[in-house]
Amino acid sequence: MKLKTNSYIVIIVLFLLGAVMPLVLRRYNLFMLTEIIIFALYAVSYNLLLGYAGLLSFGHAMFFGLGAFVAAVSIIHIPGLTLLSAVIISLVITTITGFLIGGLLLRHKGAYFALLTMAFNALFYAVATKWHSVTGGDDGLSISRPEMDLGFASLSVSSVSSFYYLILIVVGASIVFCWYFTHTAMGKTVLLMRENEERMKFLGYNTNISRLILFTFTGAIAGLAGAFYTLHFQFVSISAISIDMTTAVLLMVFVGGTRTFWGPILGAFVYIIFQNYLSDITDRWPLFMGLIFVFMVLYVPGGLSQTIVSIRQWFSGRTGTQDNGPAKAEET
Amino acid sequence: MSDYLHIKDIHKDFSGLQVLTGVDFKVVEKERHAVIGPNGAGKTTLFNIISGKFKASSGAILFKGEDLSGKPPHMLNRYGLSRSFQITNVFSELSVFENILTGVRSRYGLRYNFFKRPDHNKDFREKTEAIIEEVGLKDVGDLPASALSYGQQRALEIGITLSTEPELILLDEPTAGMTREETGQAISLIDRVTADRTLIIIEHDMDVVFSLADTISVLHYGKILASDTPDEIRNDQRVKDAYLGEE
Repeated sequence: MKLKTNSYIVIIVLFLLGAVMPLVLRRYNLFMLTEIIIFALYAVSYNLLLGYAGLLSFGHAMFFGLGAFVAAVSIIHIPGLTLLSAVIISLVITTITGFLIGGLLLRHKGAYFALLTMAFNALFYAVATKWHSVTGGDDGLSISRPEMDLGFASLSVSSVSSFYYLILIVVGASIVFCWYFTHTAMGKTVLLMRENEERMKFLGYNTNISRLILFTFTGAIAGLAGAFYTLHFQFVSISAISIDMTTAVLLMVFVGGTRTFWGPILGAFVYIIFQNYLSDITDRWPLFMGLIFVFMVLYVPGGLSQTIVSIRQWFSGRTGTQDNGPAKAEET
Repeated sequence: MSDYLHIKDIHKDFSGLQVLTGVDFKVVEKERHAVIGPNGAGKTTLFNIISGKFKASSGAILFKGEDLSGKPPHMLNRYGLSRSFQITNVFSELSVFENILTGVRSRYGLRYNFFKRPDHNKDFREKTEAIIEEVGLKDVGDLPASALSYGQQRALEIGITLSTEPELILLDEPTAGMTREETGQAISLIDRVTADRTLIIIEHDMDVVFSLADTISVLHYGKILASDTPDEIRNDQRVKDAYLGEE
């Protein structure tokens, strides 16, 4: 009971901190923080697959990119489309796509699953590159961010800070829902299946359907992140749907750590900041990102979050409280 | 009137190797039915077929007149069948409470819900606590399954099997690897929790078989040699030959 209250307090504090950021940060940094929140959602959705369900996908960018392109294409082709409608169209299409692809993949596990997701990603990338008339091909698509229609009033989100607030609330709430999801019946089912799939079958769970539902859900969340990505940059290029975007999320999740819910959020934070500063210094920033990835996998396999948990346990051990409860509970 | 459970002429071959060659026996409602037989007689294979893990090559499993053969395990569970495993098969990283809760919520259909938290349901919590108490794990309910002793893990195995409130329970060598004392406790536990339910049990330990079973079926070379009361089985010449022939 204590833990639960703690989690809610942490969430409220984070939102309040987020709310004062436009007063503290410079415009450039606020723009970057917006990007971090969007990528945090993308990383969280990926970790639900990898960390919670134990499914290694190399194709998560197909949903992110699809969401990004659907948002751009619908804004360009449907006159007067509001921001929220564009996001909902993205969400619906990525959900349907996730369900169809998941249906084809659900009997496969391990390496087969990983390779098939990669093949689908490559397919999506090829379509995005070749279908020039719709996706813009190599040139990408530029849009201008539509207004928010709240029913009673239209709200402009063209400034950096107003769009930041929109992202903080909508994407932040989506992340909170993903956290809540890990405690729900479905979230627990997924975790238990990773632990012991056979037993789950004998307890009346259809594990294939469960995997399909999870795959669809995480695909939809990645698509949601993709749609906001387009709205953020007011531009989408084929890099959004490329394998690079899958590698990016893999890196965020590994750097942050798969064993906690908040690890990937931290990973997204570190990744985006590094990427921004490194790309200012050198064009060869992917090389350095690669080295960081290798270092993390070899020496810090639990990621940053695991390191933090260990340090906290070490300190609580030293002060004699021996309160391992929260750290342990966060691991699941 | 149709039989409660009729295992009807089950054949099973694994790429040419005949393991079961026409297993046929009936189980009466609320009886405790033991399946015994020498090593390699096909007991575990038969068990895996009844519980849906394997498909039979031919034959039928008639449960209250309905053929269940070939149905996947998760469907069979919803018909009221539940099985335990010979090698402890629990969720070892999770607490005893969560282990049992998983079955309890499945029984009441809370499997894939995106919004409801199973641990917030008072009814489920109470049912889970009741099962934990029933199998004698009340003091270790919050511990992860991996921290339990072997005997406690076996009790948890039975607890999980009970958690979906089955009417037909299949226990696969529930006392395997136990000490004498643990076996004694296990017998009384099984006796207690299977009251008012139908039980099929595979067991090597004859003490367990004769202290629990109402009916014993002897499986020998892929066929049922005899299916009768313990007293009749004890005196059956064919059964004696089968077991003596083994040694």
